[in-house]
Amino acid sequence: MKKYALRRILLSLFTLLVILLVLFVLMQLMPGSPFNDEKLNAEQKANLYAKYGLDQPIFVQFFRYVGNMLTGDFGVSYNISKNTPISQLIQTRLPISIAIGGMAVALGTLVGLVLGIIAAIWHDTVADTVATVISVIGVSVPSYVFALALSYSFGFRLRWFPMLFTAKQIFASSVLPSVSLSMFTMASIARFTRSEMLEVLGSDYMLLAESKGISGPALIFRHALRNALIPIITVLAPLIVDLMTGSLVVEKIFSIPGVGSLLVTAIQSNDYNVVISLSFIYSAMYIGIMLAVDILYGIIDPRIRLAKEENA
Amino acid sequence: MKASAQQAAAPVTDGTVFYPDDFELKNNADEIRIDSNFAAQSFWKEARIRFCRKKSAVFGLAMVLLITLLAIFGPGMNSYTYSGQDLSRKNFAPRVPVLEDIGILDGGENISTTTGSKKLNYYQLKKLDNVYYWFGSDTFGRDIWTRTWSGAQVSLIIAVAAALIDMVIGMSYGLISGYFGGRVDSAMQRFLEVANGIPRLVIVTLLLLVLSPGMLTIIFALMLTEWIGMSRIARAEMLKLKEQEFVLASRTLGAGSFFIIFREVLPNIIGPVITQVMFSIPTAIFTEAFLSFVGLGIPVPQCSLGSLISEGFNSFTTHPYQIVPPIVVMALLMLSFNLVADGLREALDPKLKEM
Repeated sequence: MKKYALRRILLSLFTLLVILLVLFVLMQLMPGSPFNDEKLNAEQKANLYAKYGLDQPIFVQFFRYVGNMLTGDFGVSYNISKNTPISQLIQTRLPISIAIGGMAVALGTLVGLVLGIIAAIWHDTVADTVATVISVIGVSVPSYVFALALSYSFGFRLRWFPMLFTAKQIFASSVLPSVSLSMFTMASIARFTRSEMLEVLGSDYMLLAESKGISGPALIFRHALRNALIPIITVLAPLIVDLMTGSLVVEKIFSIPGVGSLLVTAIQSNDYNVVISLSFIYSAMYIGIMLAVDILYGIIDPRIRLAKEENA
Repeated sequence: MKASAQQAAAPVTDGTVFYPDDFELKNNADEIRIDSNFAAQSFWKEARIRFCRKKSAVFGLAMVLLITLLAIFGPGMNSYTYSGQDLSRKNFAPRVPVLEDIGILDGGENISTTTGSKKLNYYQLKKLDNVYYWFGSDTFGRDIWTRTWSGAQVSLIIAVAAALIDMVIGMSYGLISGYFGGRVDSAMQRFLEVANGIPRLVIVTLLLLVLSPGMLTIIFALMLTEWIGMSRIARAEMLKLKEQEFVLASRTLGAGSFFIIFREVLPNIIGPVITQVMFSIPTAIFTEAFLSFVGLGIPVPQCSLGSLISEGFNSFTTHPYQIVPPIVVMALLMLSFNLVADGLREALDPKLKEM
């Protein structure tokens, strides 16, 4: 297990380094230099280059860049809010995005589990069909379609929730975005729970438990669900990808001041520095979560651990 | 059969008795070919029967075909063009002949004002009796029907092209990696792990910042991100198949590695590959729509489903009918492709029935 975990950690760090290299090269390729001012003469330019270390060899610049990024010094924004440090821009926005993403995951997991269990217990009945239809729609319809529909119906027409995010009613205005983001989570967890539960319910140890006289909720929750839940960790990866992409558009639709909408604004206003910093943050979060998932899965399920150690 | 024929007459349960003369040798080349043909047909025939038995899959296929046909012929069904603007006819609500007589889609729309809502009909106000915008017109007076279907056309072309390119790249990568194994496999898999560690969102965004937006760029971006899933499936299938007798037989007959990979193994994994292609099409449609929404999509005046949705979003509270057609078409398209893919997965792999 240690060997496997170590290998995964090294590989993750290497991936992060590759990403930093790509981002660094992109920055070099971007048109224009920060010192394009015609009033500057050659000597002044040289001074500025020296001040910012731009006269150093390219690999020294790269390592300086890596150091800066890892310590959270992302430089300043050019267009969105001039000369504001990007870390400062992100600091206020990241918690909002994470809160809404977290709410979406919690809601989606809860509803998804319930739907999946219902579909598995009353297998091949109307309940199963309804749950399946809901989860197929949830998996295949993108979150921003839900966002638009919810925003129009519950926000604009019924006025139950604010259409746009307001700092005064943080909870009420987080409801619609969280619900629309949670649809994919809900659907994939429901699908997964259903098929896992069906497998577990047909297993020999369930027959044994039943023949020992255990029934009802104890049978389902203590014996079946526990075992069905282990592999659910594997659906986390596509979920995170979906949440990240989904949050961009959903935050834009509800004008939530999170990192997703910041990235969209940065793309639209060509603020390369912000785009690249956010790309780094998204990548780092993604890599971190994947690493955690893999290691966690290895700890929980020894079969996976052994299989992976053989491969390594 | 010959072996059994040489044995003495063996009694069978219902009393019939077989004699050596009852059997004849059947091993000439023609019959063997017919036999293999029959076997090949019956797999696809059975798959088709299994596919048709699943109502959701048939519904999905029908919707995909319907939308594809409309995407091809829809833009030519009226006299408007996708880029033709007419500012004097902007924001007209949908109006359809026949249906207008029964009171729906008659060109009227409810406008909410501070004093309450009232019904307006621009067609009547401007005395345009013979003008019909089936899905309405947008803020530049362009016909939404025409734009929706030409948008669907663009989205479908992007999605299908990307899925096919991904299939070729991912399949070759996975097959080669799985077949050679050892160090080749290990190096290729490490590369894949690193590539997979970078979020797709980041790859696509960065790529579109550097390259100029357009159809080819989007296909290229999708190509870079979506091949990984396909290569995993191809590799897993290769690992299953490469130890089987027919591969050994082919190698004994003197076949080279690439002959075995692409002529012997490839035809045998076509089922999972097709399924995966079907699953990657909706992903591609979604990614394109997402990129358009963020502003990195198809440049104007061309349109795709994504760019139409993002245009409609700007006025979706005042003129909701403008965003409805592209969003419904996109959602239906993604749903249908997913249903078809689900059906195909079960049809081509009968072992998976309970999933």
